[in-house]
Amino acid sequence: MDRRDFLKQSSLIAIGGLIIPSTFLSSCRKKSLFEKINYDGKVLIIGAGAAGLYAAYILKSKGINFEILEASTNFGGRLGKLEGFANFPIDLGAQWLHGKNTILGDIIQKSNTVISLDESNSVYWFNNQLVNSIPQNTNIFDGDNLPDVSYKDYAIQKGLGTEYKYIIENIAGDQGASASRISVFGNNKDEENWSSGLDDFKFEETFFDLIDKQIASHVKDKIKFNAIVKQVDYSQTQITVTDSNNIKYYADKVIVTVPITILKSGDIQFIPALPNEKTTAFSKIGMDAGMKVFLKFSAKFFNQNIIGGSICAAYADDSIGKSKDDNILLAFIMGEQAEYLTSLGSDIAITNALLQELDAMYAGQATALFISSHVQNWTTDPFVRGAYSYSTIGMGDARNIATQSLNKKLYFAGEAMNLNGHHQTVHGAIETGYREVINILNDLKK
Amino acid sequence: MRKLLFLIIVLSKISDVIAQEFDMSLSYKYMYSNQWDKAIQTYNFSRPFITKKQPLFIHGSNASISYMFKSIKKLKHGINLSYSYYRSSAQNENLKNILNLHFINLGYAIHFDCLEEMRGIYTELIISTTSSVLFRNINGQPFLYDEKKAKAFGIGGDLNLKIGYKIKFKSQSVFLPFIALGYTPYLFSPNTEAIINQTKRLTSKNWTGILFAQIGLSFHLK
Repeated sequence: MDRRDFLKQSSLIAIGGLIIPSTFLSSCRKKSLFEKINYDGKVLIIGAGAAGLYAAYILKSKGINFEILEASTNFGGRLGKLEGFANFPIDLGAQWLHGKNTILGDIIQKSNTVISLDESNSVYWFNNQLVNSIPQNTNIFDGDNLPDVSYKDYAIQKGLGTEYKYIIENIAGDQGASASRISVFGNNKDEENWSSGLDDFKFEETFFDLIDKQIASHVKDKIKFNAIVKQVDYSQTQITVTDSNNIKYYADKVIVTVPITILKSGDIQFIPALPNEKTTAFSKIGMDAGMKVFLKFSAKFFNQNIIGGSICAAYADDSIGKSKDDNILLAFIMGEQAEYLTSLGSDIAITNALLQELDAMYAGQATALFISSHVQNWTTDPFVRGAYSYSTIGMGDARNIATQSLNKKLYFAGEAMNLNGHHQTVHGAIETGYREVINILNDLKK
Repeated sequence: MRKLLFLIIVLSKISDVIAQEFDMSLSYKYMYSNQWDKAIQTYNFSRPFITKKQPLFIHGSNASISYMFKSIKKLKHGINLSYSYYRSSAQNENLKNILNLHFINLGYAIHFDCLEEMRGIYTELIISTTSSVLFRNINGQPFLYDEKKAKAFGIGGDLNLKIGYKIKFKSQSVFLPFIALGYTPYLFSPNTEAIINQTKRLTSKNWTGILFAQIGLSFHLK
């Protein structure tokens, strides 16, 4: 065979044997998910937090009609920004980026947002003194075959005495919970699914700025503020949503993104009523009280992190990761500690209680150097009423049941509805926002 | 190229010594997998901020080597080892995202030379196990999890049917242009979706069937 014949025969084999089947397969292959969306219905999103904003952002990118109803006067949900209190902007809500392996990580790269790894050091308030380390290992909540008991009970089982009470309270507080309520088993299961990375990062600006500039900016014009939803009637083909001013909104699909506390409270009446299985699931998802108190001082007398206070189990130097360095100490208070401080009834009383504790730790320097404080109590915010969701004892499959859509009309998003182990986080909320848009589009195909 | 020629010569000499046969091949490999598509499409769907979408895993390359036990009959059999590589790269402003997918197959090949009247046509059936690893790279840096390079493994079986044509140039060297079709039932590791899209359970399944179509050239050495 000469070269010419060889080429000719090879070409024939290629055309007949490969190109034809490949072309056929390629023609069957959609280049993008939901390539053709011919949906002229309207999607109503209840809540302009991270989940609602991201769902809206996706809907907008797909050319689908939507509107966001927000009960408060601001967007962002449990994200917020305080300016003027210090010489750097302060995050009133979510503050740390928990791992970069998320959609937010990609947004941060794309937008050149400045973040830095939080490598701050901790000291412990242990047996009424500040120490750099504690005698016993408290890293006991990860592993196999963990029991479905509270952190508090498990710590006792593991021989950690009462002197560790507020160290354990801090570990539970990281999950937004009281040590007596969060499940060792449940939280460990959640963490097994965690895939966003183990490092914590802080923003040079604020977390709120990232969400505002990169996500909310695309959909702000579609947010209706002060729209406190009171009723969702999904009994007819068209869904009717009524707010506290008796204004009615009509939609074909509704994405509910309100905090789990609001769903539990029954503030929103659903017609027909939500199935018992679903309301039971809501009730099993935990969400405790939470507040952040920012204390401004004239000098920096405090350590970067102070763990184990009986009034506040976690203090942190808020200037870490910022380009300016005002002396701001953040008191990060969760669970029973937040309930106690809330019960004091005023911001002044809360501040005084914290100063008293810091005085004990730092020989009276706190009161002497104190300038002012700002209390952000998420528990008393009527549209939030707590910190973030956590897994309770005996919770079982509640989060999965809570998340399921109803009648191809009602969809549930928000951090508490995240099934990837990313609940409690902004990126977790965002994941649920676009997941529910995907679920809507999948339902439209069926 | 020089290294490749050197390798061919070395293998040729080895095969002379041990009186067995080697087939080496290089090929283009087309891949179709609904679940891989879905994972990448979800990445694209969920990121309206990227202008250049992440391409699907479609076009790849393959290198393969078969060690055939020598036989005077038309039916030969032997061991086959093959490597395939797929890449999906999208360059957006400040965000260059690359997915690298590697497959390695180890299996058993049955080679059949067709009858004289079919003028040099041969068929080959390869049954193999396949394993894969997926990496992600962002802006030139490996995608890390817990300060380690994140990787997702997969495992499956592979059935590959090859049809080719023998073209003799010299007494001992044969070129064999071929086409092949393959099917791989395949199980993802759970973190595959986490690497591509940073989610879990969104694309619902952790298994898929992959279809392959292949065109290439083998070199027969004996």
